[in-house]
Amino acid sequence: MKPGWRFYAVGFAVLMAFDTLSQLCFKLAALHAAPFAGDWPWLLRVAREPFVYGAIVGYLGAFITYMGLLRHAPVGPAFAASHLNVVSVLLVSAWLLHERLNPLQLAGAALIVTGILVLAGAERDDGAAAR
Amino acid sequence: MSANPFLAWLAVLVFDTCGQLAFKAATHHAEGEGLARWRAMAAQPWLWLGIAAFIAEFIAWLAFLSLVPLAEGVLLATLNMATVMLGGRLLFGERLTPRRMAGVALIAAGVILVGVG
Repeated sequence: MKPGWRFYAVGFAVLMAFDTLSQLCFKLAALHAAPFAGDWPWLLRVAREPFVYGAIVGYLGAFITYMGLLRHAPVGPAFAASHLNVVSVLLVSAWLLHERLNPLQLAGAALIVTGILVLAGAERDDGAAAR
Repeated sequence: MSANPFLAWLAVLVFDTCGQLAFKAATHHAEGEGLARWRAMAAQPWLWLGIAAFIAEFIAWLAFLSLVPLAEGVLLATLNMATVMLGGRLLFGERLTPRRMAGVALIAAGVILVGVG
């Protein structure tokens, strides 16, 4: 059975959420375990950092979600659409980490969203033909 | 991989593309639902090949980024979207419609802008 747009919308939203969770947790773990050093004390500091486990949960969730999407979605457009996390990580880093966004980054985010809408439209219009 | 940025980039491209295609292949060769489906996927090599490629890509990406600035790295890595799409066409008969190509090109351009910005 060919899934409808709802399957893809929910699937990619969940994928984006898991991806964003892991990126954010990685950043917070790195900040808390700073200064970086490629040695055992640093690794131990990282292992005691709860955010690392949030990052692992995010990775596993994203993996399971992506494999579920790939069951129906063609891999070419699906891989491209998975870059939606670039937009969400950008917005979350501005909102929670107070990183500054410049106009180029905002334009890039708008292009990514436009591209995904184009893919979604293509899928809706000729999705019945499969593949 | 030494200190050659081109080789590191090539490794990223090859591992990323192979990994994505292996994951897609894994979903083709699995019956059932839920846990049974995952057991079926785990029983054949595609899923593991994909995971191995993912780990290799991660290492290659770190190596690549240690050799080139992030913006250039992101710029060159967006070519992966084209190779994955081409691979999907060749291996799984996915259609390369103008709208699909336009959508992927827009996403790639957006990722490049975010990387440059």
